[in-house]
Amino acid sequence: MALDSSTVAVAAQNAAAANPRFGGRFTAAGLRRVAGKLGSLVLTLFLASLLVFFSRFLVPGDPVTFLLRGRKPSPEAIAQVTEQYGLDLPPWQQYLNWLVGAVQGDFGRSLQYRQDVSTVLGERLPVTLMLVVMAGLLIAIVGLSAGIVAALNRGKALDRFTLIGLTMLSAVPSFVGSIVLIAIFAVQLGWFPTFGSGEGFGDMVYHLVLPSIALAIVFVVLVGKVTRSSMVEQLDREHVEVAISRGLKRGTVIRRHVFRNALGPILTVSGILVAGLLVASTIVEAAFGLAGMGSLLVQSVDRLDFPVVQAIVMFVVTAFVVVNAIIDIAEPWIDPRSAAGAAAR
Amino acid sequence: MSLLDISELTLDLPNGTRLLDGISLSVDAGETVGLVGESGSGKSLTARSVLGLTPDGARLGGRVELDGREVIGASAAGILDLRRHAASMIFQDPRAGINPMRTLGDHMTETLRLCEGRSKADATARAAELLASVQLPRPEEHLKQYPHEFSGGMLQRVMIAGALTSSPKLLICDEPTTALDVTTQAEIIRVLIEQRSSRGMGMLFITHDLNLAASICDRVVVMSAGRVEETGDARRVFSAPQGEYTKRLVAATPTIAAATGATGVDVIDVRAVPSIETERSDAEPMLAANGISKTYHLRGKTEVNAVVDASISIARGGALAVVGESGSGKSTLARMIVGLEQADAGDIRIAGRERTEIPRGRAARLAHARSVQMVFQDPYLSLDPRMTAGRSIEDALRLHTKLSTSDARARVLALLEQVGLGEKHAQARPRTLSGGQRQRVAIARALAIDPDVLVMDEATSALDVSVQAQVLDVLAEIRRERGLTVLFISHDLAVVRRVCEETVVMRRGRIVERGRTAALLAAPEHPYTQLLIDSVPRPDWAVDPVADQKSA
Amino acid sequence: MTTPTPTLAVEVMRAPRLRPAGITFGIALGIVSVMTLAAIFAPFIAPYPPDQLDFAAVNAGPSAAHWLGTDALGRDLLSRLIYGARTALLGPLLVVIGSTIIGMLLGLLAGWRGGWIDSVLGRVFDVLFAFPSLLLAIMAVALFGKGLIAPVIAMSIAYAPFVARLTRALVKAERTRPYVSAYRVQGFSGPWIALRRVLPNVTPIVGAQSTLNFGYVLAELAGLSFLGLGVQPPTPDWGAMINEAQPGIVGGFFLPAIVPAVAVVLVVVAVNIIGEELSERIGGEIPA
Repeated sequence: MALDSSTVAVAAQNAAAANPRFGGRFTAAGLRRVAGKLGSLVLTLFLASLLVFFSRFLVPGDPVTFLLRGRKPSPEAIAQVTEQYGLDLPPWQQYLNWLVGAVQGDFGRSLQYRQDVSTVLGERLPVTLMLVVMAGLLIAIVGLSAGIVAALNRGKALDRFTLIGLTMLSAVPSFVGSIVLIAIFAVQLGWFPTFGSGEGFGDMVYHLVLPSIALAIVFVVLVGKVTRSSMVEQLDREHVEVAISRGLKRGTVIRRHVFRNALGPILTVSGILVAGLLVASTIVEAAFGLAGMGSLLVQSVDRLDFPVVQAIVMFVVTAFVVVNAIIDIAEPWIDPRSAAGAAAR
Repeated sequence: MSLLDISELTLDLPNGTRLLDGISLSVDAGETVGLVGESGSGKSLTARSVLGLTPDGARLGGRVELDGREVIGASAAGILDLRRHAASMIFQDPRAGINPMRTLGDHMTETLRLCEGRSKADATARAAELLASVQLPRPEEHLKQYPHEFSGGMLQRVMIAGALTSSPKLLICDEPTTALDVTTQAEIIRVLIEQRSSRGMGMLFITHDLNLAASICDRVVVMSAGRVEETGDARRVFSAPQGEYTKRLVAATPTIAAATGATGVDVIDVRAVPSIETERSDAEPMLAANGISKTYHLRGKTEVNAVVDASISIARGGALAVVGESGSGKSTLARMIVGLEQADAGDIRIAGRERTEIPRGRAARLAHARSVQMVFQDPYLSLDPRMTAGRSIEDALRLHTKLSTSDARARVLALLEQVGLGEKHAQARPRTLSGGQRQRVAIARALAIDPDVLVMDEATSALDVSVQAQVLDVLAEIRRERGLTVLFISHDLAVVRRVCEETVVMRRGRIVERGRTAALLAAPEHPYTQLLIDSVPRPDWAVDPVADQKSA
Repeated sequence: MTTPTPTLAVEVMRAPRLRPAGITFGIALGIVSVMTLAAIFAPFIAPYPPDQLDFAAVNAGPSAAHWLGTDALGRDLLSRLIYGARTALLGPLLVVIGSTIIGMLLGLLAGWRGGWIDSVLGRVFDVLFAFPSLLLAIMAVALFGKGLIAPVIAMSIAYAPFVARLTRALVKAERTRPYVSAYRVQGFSGPWIALRRVLPNVTPIVGAQSTLNFGYVLAELAGLSFLGLGVQPPTPDWGAMINEAQPGIVGGFFLPAIVPAVAVVLVVVAVNIIGEELSERIGGEIPA
């Protein structure tokens, strides 16, 4: 049943008045909150791992045949795979073995590379991380600027122009961006390489310029739009008008009251971006022939190397959950109200 | 020369709408001028134009002279200077007016540091001093706290202190107490008057509340639809209004005092109306709630005793008011009676039938609904936005009766007519209706079920006074015709005086006093009732406690 | 206790809302309609069968015979584009319908009932949020094989939590409104209010969001085909066409890749414009 909101609000204020540090950051309540978030993180990861592991059991038929699809297994190979993955054990025990290994970074052996999954993944990860970091920087710079510029010119030509630009860009998926960038800047103009990730740090950055742009496009739109709408929402707030009425300069008001308060939604979206970038890099890596985690994922699906697929999925999911937990835990530094709980909102 | 001199101010939107049409007013140092009007009258806009806070693209005409300098057409630097030194503004909702993500210390010292270039320590000391001067208990500690840790009344003091950081010559107050309870309002007004007289500031006080304006202002300017209707000495305007609009406004304004002359309509005493129903007044009361309680358990360990051992009863055809401030539990009481909340203890009987439980099952729901109906506070949210007014009423009718479509339609029109609306309103969606019209639709919808008891939960508090008066007239009319029993929940003693024969006063979940309304208002016994009544602003010209300061 | 009445001044302070011009909206509707008609009537419109080879015109530019040129096997690009619209539009349509139905029902349940149902569903949504839709689609392909069916089911599941979370937030906001209490007081049953009154009130906003989802899903499914994991050749599909044309790009043959790419961009842009315009017109506030 809905509570009588005014009664509850008054009670919450009384509670706050009785304890002036209600909702403080380093209090016992604050620590409990962090512990709660960490518990929730572990639970989410646990449930996700169940989904990732047991999804295999959704496929009808014999697990050995599933794992060795597309290959012509000799009886020895079957025996080896059965032994290696413990396929003769009950499912929950297979899961426990996998989970214990996964927690220690051991995801079993790749069927196509005949190496540990972690080794294969370790070789591919740097390119992907570099790509994601470069795209992330681009997104932050371009997305934030576009959003801020649009919000501050709300309703004017510049805002319209930016919004139209963002809507157009939002329709350019990374594979389209990739081929257009390759066609123009690599093939026609010859400014950038069409293929590969280069040797050494500098060369790698050079090779990843076009891929990171292709990867960033759609996400720039996301950050740009959220920044704009969050800023616009704050611009309409009465406390902003109060700040203006007190004779603060426009720049000061924007910086201290509008942008500062608009940060929450922007950070939330950034958290969601992380997983999105890791997955979308799959497409960009395929387009630019980069030997990263994404192209490994596609190869592994293509060659039916399920242990590698599981490991990569789990990696992306973990990255998403951890980043979002960090943002969640950091929330009281952005919005002090969140520490006090829903009652005081 | 005046501190603030506005003459022939006009404001046009880019689309050609004229929002302000030839406004002229002036404020002297040490003087309080009231800017009075209903919503949409342009009073806020007028005040904002003084600080250059007008909507983008609006065209201004006329002159606004503040402290000897012209505001309209002033350079950006000039406007900043006026805002920093000449005038400050206090806004309506203190909770919206202070950045929720920064500490109060930041709010208080921001302008001192960034505009006046004071050091942090210096600014903090000054801020603490100002917080102390508006009577906040622990200034140093408050500077480290966040707005959500405070009540609305405390925050409004912070807003006042914040506005005083620049030592303004003119203080503009835009409905500074409208969002507050009446006792809190009285405290805030006291603080404002103290500061005004100790600093010799001029004050432009915007309010929709005539009684409030009358109690604190030297002169008033009455506005309506972007024009000034009347200007003059406060006492003269309220006791002998000259303009037609002002006359109507003054007449529509309920007052708490029993004898203020021409204003105020007398209590409608339905007992005077001959009726078969009232003959049986010895029978069981229409509504009887005995010892009902409700406790909420918030997340965490906080318990809120919303209602504690409350008992009320209303005779058939009677009207009982439940008066209290926010958090008093009066709405929770109402929600228990209409079956939206389950009472933890006690029992509720309506027309002799047990109505304590939240009804379960179709038959129980319909029976409960026929016992009691409710009109909610917010007319903007209490009607389904997708349904036309007629459909809303028809839905209720068809749930409870087996009328044919055409009979139901006819009945809908009859009901609408009863609340003073017509066929064209039946086709209208709530969005296109005014607040008063929506509330009438809500009343008609409640009447469609023909309930024994009608609960009105702050049903007129969101309306302008003239609209409120109309809705109250509709209510009186219905009571006369139907002998309806009414439970009237309100924070407004003056409205209660107009509507109800009997009143109970609630505070923190408990009923502290009960009695005939007139007697209770004239001679309150409980200290809280006394405080409540004393807090109500009233133009008590003869023994005005602030009269001495007014000539300053 | 008094609710501050919104004054005219406050309403004026709000800047006029920005909306794409009516012409843009019309063009967007036009693009989507043309593509839909092309998909439905492909066999009657396409000048050639989509897999007809013409070795005399390999990688040819636009001509009277081939308006948009041909690909590396000499297949007519316009015909393949028209046939490709079928899978391009059908996939997202199924995903949007599936995710909207699942999401709205679960969101209504969570938002209306609250309590433990809300907590459990919230946890389930949290877990699903951690799987980006494209990742879930790739995983489905890894499990069930390439094609359109597995990814469509996976993405319906991946998008359902977004719809559900939006619906839940809207329903929760709606539920606290007095009009819902008013229905209760009038004697209407909870399920009736939820299904007959609250659900229709939140549907337009959810619908606008689902329209926007259509664009995202289209891009993602095309991306999956581009990776070679979605619709398989020789079935004409825009993503698969770009995949097949990729080797040619380095050789300077851009057209076979650009033609389907432009088609993807056009449809997604059109759908986004329609979606944004719809949510503007509804003007509903989307709670966080």
